[in-house]
Order: sequence, then C-alpha cells, then structure tokens
Amino acid sequence: MMNEYTGWLLDLYPHPESGIALWLLCDDGQRRYLRQDFPVTFYAAGQSHRLKDLWKFLARQPIPIELSRTERRDLFTGATVVLAASLDVPALLPELFQKLTNNFPDLNFYDADLHIALRHAAMYGTFPLARCHVTVDERGIIYEINVLDSKWDSDIEIPPLRILTIETDVDPTHDQPKQIHFQTKRNCITLDLKKANLNLGLLNYLFKQDDPDLIITSHGDTWLMPLLLKLSEEQNQPLPFNRDPLGEIRYKKERSYFAYNQVIYRGQQFHFAGRMHLDINNTVMYGDYGLDGVIEMARVTSLPVQTVARVSPGTGISAMQIVTALENEILVPFRKEQTERAKTTSQLFREDMGGTVYDPIIGLHEDVAEVDFFSMYPSIMVKFNISPETVNSKNLTSELVTYLEGMTDDKELGLIPRTLAPLLEKRYRLKNQLFTLSRLDCRYKNYKAKTAAHKWLLVTCFGYLGYKNARFGKIEAHEAVTAYGREVLLRAKEAAEDLGFRVLHLYVDGMWVKQSGYKKAEDFQPLLNEIQKRTNLPIALDGIYKWVAFLPSKQNKKVAVPNRYFGVFQDGEIKTRGIETRRHDTPAFIRETQMQILEILANAPDAESLKECLPEIRALILEKQNALRLGLVPPEKLIVHQTVSKNLNEYRTPVPAFSALQQLEYAGKPLRLGQTVRLIYTLGMPRAHAWDAGNGLDPRRVNLARYRQLLDRAVDTVLQPITDGDRFWFTRVRQLLFLDVL
Amino acid sequence: MGNVTPTITDILHAEEANLAKFRRALRREDQIVFDDLFTAAYKHRAAAAYAGHLLPFETFLLAMQIEDHKEVMHLRAEIENMRKMLEAFKAKNDE
Repeated sequence: MMNEYTGWLLDLYPHPESGIALWLLCDDGQRRYLRQDFPVTFYAAGQSHRLKDLWKFLARQPIPIELSRTERRDLFTGATVVLAASLDVPALLPELFQKLTNNFPDLNFYDADLHIALRHAAMYGTFPLARCHVTVDERGIIYEINVLDSKWDSDIEIPPLRILTIETDVDPTHDQPKQIHFQTKRNCITLDLKKANLNLGLLNYLFKQDDPDLIITSHGDTWLMPLLLKLSEEQNQPLPFNRDPLGEIRYKKERSYFAYNQVIYRGQQFHFAGRMHLDINNTVMYGDYGLDGVIEMARVTSLPVQTVARVSPGTGISAMQIVTALENEILVPFRKEQTERAKTTSQLFREDMGGTVYDPIIGLHEDVAEVDFFSMYPSIMVKFNISPETVNSKNLTSELVTYLEGMTDDKELGLIPRTLAPLLEKRYRLKNQLFTLSRLDCRYKNYKAKTAAHKWLLVTCFGYLGYKNARFGKIEAHEAVTAYGREVLLRAKEAAEDLGFRVLHLYVDGMWVKQSGYKKAEDFQPLLNEIQKRTNLPIALDGIYKWVAFLPSKQNKKVAVPNRYFGVFQDGEIKTRGIETRRHDTPAFIRETQMQILEILANAPDAESLKECLPEIRALILEKQNALRLGLVPPEKLIVHQTVSKNLNEYRTPVPAFSALQQLEYAGKPLRLGQTVRLIYTLGMPRAHAWDAGNGLDPRRVNLARYRQLLDRAVDTVLQPITDGDRFWFTRVRQLLFLDVL
Repeated sequence: MGNVTPTITDILHAEEANLAKFRRALRREDQIVFDDLFTAAYKHRAAAAYAGHLLPFETFLLAMQIEDHKEVMHLRAEIENMRKMLEAFKAKNDE
C-alpha cells in the first residue's frame, strides 16, 4: 500500500546499509523517517591500461559495484571517455575513494567526493527545508519525490520547527560554568553542574516530550557536547541527540588554516542525524545574518543547515557550482586541473591587476553622493558570460573589454554565470523590495538576513575563480572580471566628469561624487542613467551624505587612505570604514565613545555647523576620561581581542598577546592559531592580563595610560575633519577639549 | 594581483627604498622636497597601476610632474587673481 505525505525536508544523509535516509516534517506534525534507493556514480579518466587496472581493482571489492565505459563532458576538454562506477551504498564511497586515491594517484577522478545532499539536489531539485510531496510504500521507502517550492522564491512557508536552546550560565572559555539551561517552547530545565550526580534522565524526558528539530547551543561544539556526551557515557544514560537511533553523531576535528592572508580557526563540530545542531559560537557569520540567513544559505547552496552554518561562503558557492555541473551532466573534478597559462612579463603587468582604487581627496566634503554598482563582479560575470570555459574562446580579453563585449557570441551561459544568475536575480528582487518595505514590516528582518547571506556568497564567487583549490577556477577568468571592472568604473568616472561632477573617490565598485547645488536624489538620476547607458550594468544611489570625511594616512598626512572614512547620510545614518569603531581589536569602551562622538556630529544640520558640536563632545570626553581614571569603566569593556597568528615559541618580543597566551597555557587553556585571545593591558610585566585565564584582575593593575592613549587617538580620528587638517587649529581644539583635565 | 606581480604600492615602496642612499646624502631641505615628490607619486597609484607600464617608475615621475604642474597652474591662477586685484586697486587709487 502506498502513502503520500507533504512536508519539509529536515535532513538527508547516507544510510549505512543502502541508499539514503530522509527526515520529513509532515503537515500533520509527524517527523517521518523515510528511505530512498539512491545509487551514486563516480568516474575516472586517464591512460587506458590504468583504467583497466582500476576496473579489475573495483571488481575485486567486497561490495557490489556496477562498472561501465561511457562518455561524459569535461568542462574544459569536452567529451571524455571515462570509467563509470556505481554503488548502491553511498555510505561506503568515502572509504572506497580513499583507497582509490592511494592506489591510483595518476588517474583523474570525477564526482567522487561530493556531498550526498548535492547529488540529491541535482537529481530531484531538493534543498534543506524544501516543501516536498513524497509517495512511499509501507516500509517507508520513497517511490516518488516532488519539490513543491523553489529556492529562488522570496517568501517561503516557514516550517514549524521545534527549537531547543542550550546555554551555560557563564561563557565556558572564560570561567567554569555552574549550570546548563535547556529551554524549549514548553519546558525549561537547569542542570546544576555542582551536584555530584547529575540527572540526565531529565534531559531524556525533555527530548521525549518536545522532540526538537533544531538545537541551538552556545559553545555546543567546543564545550557543551563533549561534556554531555562524557556524562552520558559515565552514567550509561544515552542521550537522544540523534533522532535516528541507528545514526551516529558525526564528529569533525578542529582545524586552523590560512586563507585571505589570515589564519582562520574552525572549532570541532558535532552533527546530529535527523536533528540540526547550530552552535552560535562556531557558526560563520551568525552575527551578520542569524538563523534566517543560515537557513537561506542552506536553501540556495543545497548544503545541510548544520554543515553550511560551519563552512565559509566559498564552500557554499562551490556547492552551488557543483549542483549546476551535476544538473548539466558536467564532470566535477576531485582536484583543480587548470593551471595558469604561460605569460610574458609584459602580459603579467597588463593582466595581473585588481580593481581600481583611487586615493580619495582628503578632507571634509558636503552633499556627496555615493553610487554603487549592484554586486559588480557577479553582475559582470553574468553580463559578459565570464566562466573558466568561456575565457579567450572568442577574442583576447583586453580587446573585448575595450568595447565591453561578452566572452562568447552565443546566448548559452557558462557554468559560473549560470550558477550566479538566479542568485543575483533573487538578491536584486529582495533589495528592491527592501527599499519599499517599512522597517517595522515583519518581512524586513528576514529579507535583510537573506540579502546579507547572498552578499557573502556573491563576494566570494569572484575570489573562487582565482582560488588555487577551486574545482572550477581559472586565473584568466578571475583576471577578466577585474579587467571589465576597471573599464566599467572608468566609464562611470568619465560619465560623471562629462556631466560636471567632481569625482572624490573611486573604490572598485563605488564612486563618490559631488556638484555644487546638487543635494537631492533626483539631481543624481541623470548621472545614474548615463552610467547605466555606458556600462549596461545596474547601478544605484547608495545615499547622499550630509558630509563625509576622507582621512589621511597616520604615517603621512598628505597621503590619503582609500578605505578610511566616515560620514553621515541625509537620513542620519552613520557610515564608517577603517576607523576604530570598525576594528575588531578596539575595546568596547573606545568603540562606544567614538560612536557617541559621531552620533553628536550626526545631529549637526550641515558640515558648517560641526564646530558647534565641540562643547558637547568636550563634555562627553571629559566624562569618559574621568570614568576611566576613577575605574568606573567595567573591565569587560576594556578587553582587546586579538587573533592568534603565531605559536608561542615564534614570538620574539614579550608583546601583550604573548603574555596573555602564556598565561592561558599555564592555566591549561592553550589557544590554537586563528582563535581569539582576549586581554586587558596591564602595568609592568606581564604587559597584559589574559581575560580567560581564570584568575581575577586587580583593577589597580589596568594600564590606564594605554587606554587613555587609545581614547585620545579615537577622538583625534573623528575630530580631524573639523580641524580641516590645520595643525594650529587642531592644537587649539585639543586645548579646548582637554582644558579641564590639564 | 599581488601574488604573481607586486602591487603598485609595493613597487613604489621598492623604488623609494632603492633611493634611500640618495635621499640620505641630500641636504635636509632637499630631503623634504624629495619626500614631497614621492607623496605626489602616491596620489596617482591607481592611474599607474591601470597603465600597467613595464617601467612603472616612468609613470611615477610623470605623476610627480603632474602634481608639480598642478601647483604651478594653481600659483599662476593665484598670481593672475592678485594681479587683477592689484590693477583694480591701482585704478581705484588713480581715480
């Protein structure tokens, strides 16, 4: 007998015996465990005698593998003869593939190391939390699965997820927690860690009662789960974190790696079967877009929620490319195979360039419009069909760029533009809707989170074209994008100058312009139209600043810094880049003070009136200085965050970060590369107090002079434009401001 | 960019470092002029990068020249203004 169900796809993973297991949150409220036959196929290409060896090797394996010789399309070389191997048990593929890479390193493998969710997405169009209609037999085996919604829809029917939050009373990296709080919509339980015998039965009761779909933890991966699982083992009391009783908790080790010129740390991970686990402290960009953004990331990339939450946006965009390739029956290589073509020095100088970045005109400017191209690089990739396989297929990139011609004449998009086009279209649609929505509208926050998630995917998609490990990367495509970017920005500059605007700054995809008497959005509309006409790319007015200040370099006051400015839009919104408020290592006390000064300045009706704000700013600074001197600033607000970029033995001088790391080492809490060390500057030696070392801080040891120096610098930064760079005037401002203290 | 070929800022830094001995041997007042010239070159890094010239120092020299000429044009305009003011003042006095 066949049954039919409609609901949301909660989870999907390989079943240890055969096919895959799926969890469906059905419309009747039941969470159903279903199975599906899902053979997976991988391919190998290379010399024929080696392929024969591989055939024999696979035929000898104890598991049934269906072998055949076939032809598949390689993105770069076209039709390729390959050996195809199909397995009914996807769970066995990783182990088998490990053997193959060891025994046949000379062969090229395709579609071999792909996430099962991506294969399923390509085959059935599924994605996490997709609305699905399934037809199953009495054993729960799926015969038919249809997806009812699209990942590109703006509004989705939100699944009624049951959420369990687990939190500790204190941050475990700072102090030993005494309690763990478990909270669902109906129940609240507190485990007292001081008690000798913890009652884990209560937790079991909670799982039985509420059966959560999503478990949101704070420090779950790094502290909570290891503790709970240890207790569960000691008490022989299994905890049902997995909904699937046969499923295993998937554990991933912590790791540090080097990317984008910095060391990045990823903590260990615990993934559950049938439920989703999110550790908000181990989730990439959670602070930027929250749960809504994580779910959107999962939907558009097709990666499971608990996976996508812990990987970089680059892995997300790579997953989207893989799905596009699988849907179009293009082979997905295990490793990148494309290398950079040989170039002369002169070619390198001409082609190996980034985006255009001007030095802005230093100082305070009034009534400045900031115009930005909408997702410039992804738009360029789609508009001009830039993809690894389309580059140089017609003419030399330099010639095409001059006339803004596409990479190909035909309408068929390359792999990368085909992947990006729907994402770009969705972001454009949501951004336009956001312009018209009130901030109080219930959709506003959700749309904002979604566009933030899209932004990170689109930002990384350009970098991935040139990334050394990207499967579909090619440096020439990466260079082509920047070449079009430079041409487009220069055309925008020329359009602005032709219309009589003064170009104050150009920064990759944005332009700051002004013209005497131009203050309203409609004054700048002819410029936007002209730029759009000359470039064929969407451009928008980001806003009109009441005033904006471009700051000079700290080392040389005559040289501007491209990305160091702040300003106030006509609607009162403050924008800052590159100053203390934006720096991760700035203590909260300094950041807040600088922001408060900017808020006072934002109240001034125009740039002329900024000087009138000085008395109020002076009072604020005096108050802050006094608070600092009298020890009234809470120590938490003096914490400096620094990323660990080298091991303890690599430090040559006892800088504060070294002292803090050493203290943590003694306290048995060593940090790994890429983790953040929290410290407070102290007097004498050691120069810093490690906030998380576990020993208290004597407030008398705080290096107030150092914090005073940081405060003065932050104040100087934002008061600089009022002084017009005149040192004499600046000194008088300083005297005026600090008169009472002196 | 930056991985294979040096960035334009790196090249400019290198050129400045190459001339460190030359700068050292200059008189203090000339060192200030030297530094000013390099500051002028820094202002046109974007244009120098876009030019993609094999000998970028030539573009830096031109950038120095541009800033110099801008200054000359500015001073010319100032003098012209002052001359006009002076003539107007003289004409007024003659009346």
